[in-house]
Amino acid sequence: MAKAISMREKKEKLDTVTIYIMGQGYKVPSSLTIMKAMEYAGFKLKRGVGCRAGFCGACATVYRKLGDYKIYANLACQTKVEDGMYLTQLPFVPANKAEYNLDEIKPSASTMLRFYPEIARCLSCNACSRVCPQDIQVMDYVQYSLQGQIEKAAELAFDCIQCGLCAIRCPAEIPQYHVATLARRLHGKYHMIAPDTLEQRVKEIEEGKYEKGFEELMSLSEEELKKRYVARDFIDQKKA
Amino acid sequence: MKYSYFPGCNLKTNAKEYEHTAVEVSKILDAELVEMPVFNCCGTVHSMASDNTMRRIAPVRILSRSEEHQKELEDTNNTVVTLCSMCSSTLKVVNEEVKEDEEMLQKINWQLERDNLKYSGHSEVKHYLEILRDEVGFEEIVKKVKKQLKGMKVASYYGCMLLHPDKAKIDDSETPTVMETLTLALGAEVVDWPYFKTCCGSYHVVDKEDIVNNQILKITEGAKKRGANAIITACPLCAYNLDSQQVFLQKKGIIKETIPIFYFTQLMAIALGIKLENFEDHHVDPKPLLKSLGLI
Repeated sequence: MAKAISMREKKEKLDTVTIYIMGQGYKVPSSLTIMKAMEYAGFKLKRGVGCRAGFCGACATVYRKLGDYKIYANLACQTKVEDGMYLTQLPFVPANKAEYNLDEIKPSASTMLRFYPEIARCLSCNACSRVCPQDIQVMDYVQYSLQGQIEKAAELAFDCIQCGLCAIRCPAEIPQYHVATLARRLHGKYHMIAPDTLEQRVKEIEEGKYEKGFEELMSLSEEELKKRYVARDFIDQKKA
Repeated sequence: MKYSYFPGCNLKTNAKEYEHTAVEVSKILDAELVEMPVFNCCGTVHSMASDNTMRRIAPVRILSRSEEHQKELEDTNNTVVTLCSMCSSTLKVVNEEVKEDEEMLQKINWQLERDNLKYSGHSEVKHYLEILRDEVGFEEIVKKVKKQLKGMKVASYYGCMLLHPDKAKIDDSETPTVMETLTLALGAEVVDWPYFKTCCGSYHVVDKEDIVNNQILKITEGAKKRGANAIITACPLCAYNLDSQQVFLQKKGIIKETIPIFYFTQLMAIALGIKLENFEDHHVDPKPLLKSLGLI
């Protein structure tokens, strides 16, 4: 009997880890993600949580491990807890976002510098790339922006989920992820070819092809709408 | 022969024609400039603050990335080649400093460590003019000239960064000859003048234009007075100031005649038989001069 209890204790020890959330220690099951562990520990997450699938970038977490000098950062919903993790959440990163009209600007280094002059302060320390949970070469796309190589900047930054960790680590105070957005928008507008189907659909909308259908939908009762929603057709991908 | 070539920002933005002609010329001379796959800003102007380490990361990162690039290149040596004289100066100074100061190099390498980079301290930074003089040789260039630049009277403008500071100079800082010898090799006439390194006003062009205008007036009038019909340079910022401010001075009625500004590689390209059409970077139109001499 005594032996059985010690086994259970041992098992419990193996299956739980101690993590420190904002300085307070909690014992949590080792199989959980940071996000689930926080909920297990009793936190009710309202901010700093979103898709729970690694796409939205809302749950940036910064942590250190016991006895390790390095700062780690990742998404809380994508990272498993480890014993001795000291962590905190970064639900929001303050960073200025420039306003511009894409029709009035050109894809060039001077455009990038006009809206984000901070990029000229880049020290090439690469702290941004190291902290990026998406493994993006952040510094390199900032440098491509400075060099006016907008296409390369946009392609390098494609996987950005705008968690903002880069902007927090930057000694030059650059809001990298907003710089990336500008680069991608410029690249999309000026270098890429719009697909025919998109142009055709825009034309159809402008010509009022769907007005009637929308008017009909708008006039329906809630009940009728629900009925139609349930009975809606899906496009058969094999036939389409 | 191939060289690991570091372009820097200006060659990709304001001085595209400098880069284009340099790369084309380098192929003909079998001293080919091969661009580094990834590169960052050199830091523009070496920092002289009391604690420089943070500002040295950018240039040392370039040196270490170039070392990786050199490993990929066949038939190369341990050289990083630049075209911009500002990048040249910054990289050369920092390279010398980290060679002298092992502690600083180690400190910077600790910063590069997590990016799987390390600078050994064994690379040399060279401006392409040095490659032309010391590794290609002017005699070889003379052999490759297809069209002598007859009628071109060229004032060589070095600016500050090719000749200063001592750690970065590519030639004697009081009596440089590399651009003059190159001019002769291309079949053009050398104009002797005292303003070869009079400051162009540098970054003051963005906030104190008057300072720049005074300098440009002195430099360009000085060249014209001595019979020059063209000025050559190796610096995108000097070129911009010399070129754009002449147009400004002309509009104000301060000068009547302008003098075209070229990168030395543009004249090389013409002499080596490369057809040039794009003069977009220029403010003073160089085509009338080139046409009148039958060079384009």
